[in-house]
Amino acid sequence: MSRGFSTIGVGHPRIDAIEKVTGKARYAADFSLPGMLYGKIKRSPHAHARVLSIDAEKALALEGVKAVLTPWDVPRVLHTGAPAPRLGSLRADQLVLTDVARFVGDGVAAVAATTEEIAEAALDLIEVQYEILPAVFTVEEARRPGAPLIHGTEGNLVMPPIIVQAGDVEAGFAEADLVLEATYHTGRPSHCYMEPNACLCYFDESGTLTIWASTQCAFMVRGILSEVLGLPLHKVRVVVKHMGGGFGAKQDLYQHEFVCALLARRTGRPVKMVYSRKEVFMATKTRHPVSITLKQGVKRDGTITARQALYVSNTGGYASHGPGITAVGTIDMTSLYRCNENWRLEGRSVYTNAPIAGAFRGYGAVQSFFALDVQMDELAEMVGMNPLDFRLKNAVGEGDPSPSGHRLRADALAACLRRGAEEVRWHERWQPPEVKTGRVRWGLGIGTEMHSSGAYPDIKEQSNAILKMNEDGTVQLLTGAADLGTGAHTVLAQIAAEELGMPLANIRVVSGDTDMVPFDIGAYASRTTYVAGSAVQRAAAELRQRLLALAGEKLGCEATTLEIRDGEIRRQGQVLLSVAELVRGEGGRPAVALMAQATYEAKVAYSFAAHFAEVEVDTETGMVRVTKVVAVHEIGKAINPLGVEGQIEGGIQQGIGHSLTEDLVLDPETGAPLNAGFVDYKMPLAPDMPEIRVIILEEAPDPDSPFGAKGVGEDPIMAIGPAIANAVYNATGVRFRELPITPDKLLARLREQGETDTA
Amino acid sequence: MKRLIRLYVNGEPHEVLVPVYRTLLDVLREELGLTGTKKGCDVGDCGACTILLNGEPVNACLVLAVEADGTQVDTIEGLAQVGEEGVRLHPLQESFLRLGAAQCGFCTPGMIMAARALLAENPSPSEEAVRFAIAGNICRCTGYTKIVQAILYAANREVM
Ligand code: FES
Ligand code: FES
Repeated sequence: MSRGFSTIGVGHPRIDAIEKVTGKARYAADFSLPGMLYGKIKRSPHAHARVLSIDAEKALALEGVKAVLTPWDVPRVLHTGAPAPRLGSLRADQLVLTDVARFVGDGVAAVAATTEEIAEAALDLIEVQYEILPAVFTVEEARRPGAPLIHGTEGNLVMPPIIVQAGDVEAGFAEADLVLEATYHTGRPSHCYMEPNACLCYFDESGTLTIWASTQCAFMVRGILSEVLGLPLHKVRVVVKHMGGGFGAKQDLYQHEFVCALLARRTGRPVKMVYSRKEVFMATKTRHPVSITLKQGVKRDGTITARQALYVSNTGGYASHGPGITAVGTIDMTSLYRCNENWRLEGRSVYTNAPIAGAFRGYGAVQSFFALDVQMDELAEMVGMNPLDFRLKNAVGEGDPSPSGHRLRADALAACLRRGAEEVRWHERWQPPEVKTGRVRWGLGIGTEMHSSGAYPDIKEQSNAILKMNEDGTVQLLTGAADLGTGAHTVLAQIAAEELGMPLANIRVVSGDTDMVPFDIGAYASRTTYVAGSAVQRAAAELRQRLLALAGEKLGCEATTLEIRDGEIRRQGQVLLSVAELVRGEGGRPAVALMAQATYEAKVAYSFAAHFAEVEVDTETGMVRVTKVVAVHEIGKAINPLGVEGQIEGGIQQGIGHSLTEDLVLDPETGAPLNAGFVDYKMPLAPDMPEIRVIILEEAPDPDSPFGAKGVGEDPIMAIGPAIANAVYNATGVRFRELPITPDKLLARLREQGETDTA
Repeated sequence: MKRLIRLYVNGEPHEVLVPVYRTLLDVLREELGLTGTKKGCDVGDCGACTILLNGEPVNACLVLAVEADGTQVDTIEGLAQVGEEGVRLHPLQESFLRLGAAQCGFCTPGMIMAARALLAENPSPSEEAVRFAIAGNICRCTGYTKIVQAILYAANREVM
């Protein structure tokens, strides 16, 4: 394509920003209907317990209480929390309300009342008799012989182990001069999207359920609700307007969505349910705590000869995305750095009575890349190479295999490393930890990542788009893709505008209503720009062809000699008529309806990044301050650079939190979260954030994607963790194989190191 | 028990009969339909519900509606001027929009109100002062970079 772009590649404010800055944007909890009731869920205080009986009499006697539901009043349909059909397949292990609580906060009963306060008061009046069962919270406990079986599966495994192998690992290790085996652990961060889960349900006279929800996957919600409630698909309508973040957790359905619909059906009134922040912490999702035992062999010249890993994830009380995450996390250990294509990788996902772990930005790979990139630093030191040079020597590039089974098409990872190294003046400024002294020590570290845009081939990726031409030359773009705050709709509008040759202002995005828009599998896996964007581009290309054909007829010339630019039909640069004039109808007759529809089934494209983190470690307090991050991302083509930067900056913020402070801590006795609130669960705040320098590379545009664009949503959170851990090592010589790196742990390790130093 | 209270919300008087235990946040959202002010935690930890009470920034979830009887309450809905030429955004709204400071937008109303209180007191704050002023407002999407830029940009424009 030789022509310059007019709409893409330029930073655009989000098309819905005006609603957000004026307070007009409506999120699920902002909707209300006359006669509406408020629902609440009664949650188990026990991590593992059988519900023997529930007495709702007192609750029902409270004035304002309209209904109470128990596990025996609701459909007993086992369903999956995680709707996307993943390679690791799914486990239908959840009930609307459970008679066996499997984590602290599992919902066992529900109530609807005229006010939220009454509903809350009623919860205390519902009397539940439990038989307390033995509970396990860690993988070690859950795997021990004789451990309680949480879902009756052998050894509490969610699925049979996933095995990925190639080449000959033993031969690879035999060839190595040095072998390192170590175990890496990651914590239990919570998503902490600012909008608590919420929904509003009502049934109309025809028996159709409308649910206003906050979900990344409206069509999946429709599907599972229909299955569990026994309603045909055309009688379930899911509406999602604005979303206050999701980061993966809002791919799943939660108990409130089912319960709310059932309470609405029972009472004949609209019912709203909004989770408290504490409920969001304890009863939605966390990231999977994972342990990875990683073994690699390396030759003195820095060649990695083999890789072996065991990836074990703690999925908590229900499977959710446990199998998918474990599959992705395991397979992704084949990527980033070459190992002579000798690998043997195994993944296990284990049930425990911990809070449910689910999909979270970086889906299983955050943990893998943490282990891989920290070990890269360790190996570099073992062979006496500079960590940058060691990475450059082994970085995957053109022709190397990728987790999807396709060969990579470019040397983009090395390009990111080189560009970042230049920016931070690596060779001038990086020095080994031995030379660092003083109370506050500075360190520099690298983390890298690669991520596919979309989950193909694990998921049969598919998106659709419909474009409708209006008689004044403007266009309605119908998409099922959600915008959870990422700016996805702006990007889709830009793609349509660019392809059609029309101004962005002439495109209106219609979304978020399953009754109106075409099917979309959901917003996850950094897929929207790539997959949904491709569908939009195809539909726009088709609409453009139709417009040109119409113009050709009207002007009596070949359509192929015409083009559309700025909403005008032109031939060799000369404006002949505007699109509005072309489509407006004639002689009092309305215009012919012009519409185009396209479906796109994705292939696979990889984005890459290298992050360079600078830290200052106070060796007296154990505090780590990230002072600067240089983030180099190769994403093919940035459709909206302003949005891309925002994604990267936000991902880095979450990654800094995961690396230094964020961890949902469980009471080892009861399994109850001890820090289910923003004061005790500490995220980076405005004063905690470093300077972030975002560098976008467009070295390897994807041939199958809209204008070469690839995904970016998940990428930033994967590279920052190892960059920080490696920077802490560089500053102090203390090697952390676990996250988060909190001051207490760091101080203890410094002390240990001091003792061994003086010994 | 309920009590009749009088609030001046965005310059307009309202009389509301409220249960004594209900927060100002719930009254704004549920009784007055002003859902621009968000509830992110309901316990004073996140700043999503930041409003101005007699010009001072407060977390509306920590104020009982009866305590606010007789006060001036400013919310995000009152910030833009609606006149004959349509809606004129406040400089902060304008800069948040242009500089990409609102991603999911859930923290945005509270963030803008906190920034507004800062600029009323300190029209040309340093970057550090801006970061400090919004330290009680959590954003999970942006990394704060563009929010800080937007506030500084609006401040400079207001000074000019
Ligand atoms: S809702 Fe008031 S501070 Fe969070
Ligand atoms: S923009 Fe999403 S929380 Fe701030």
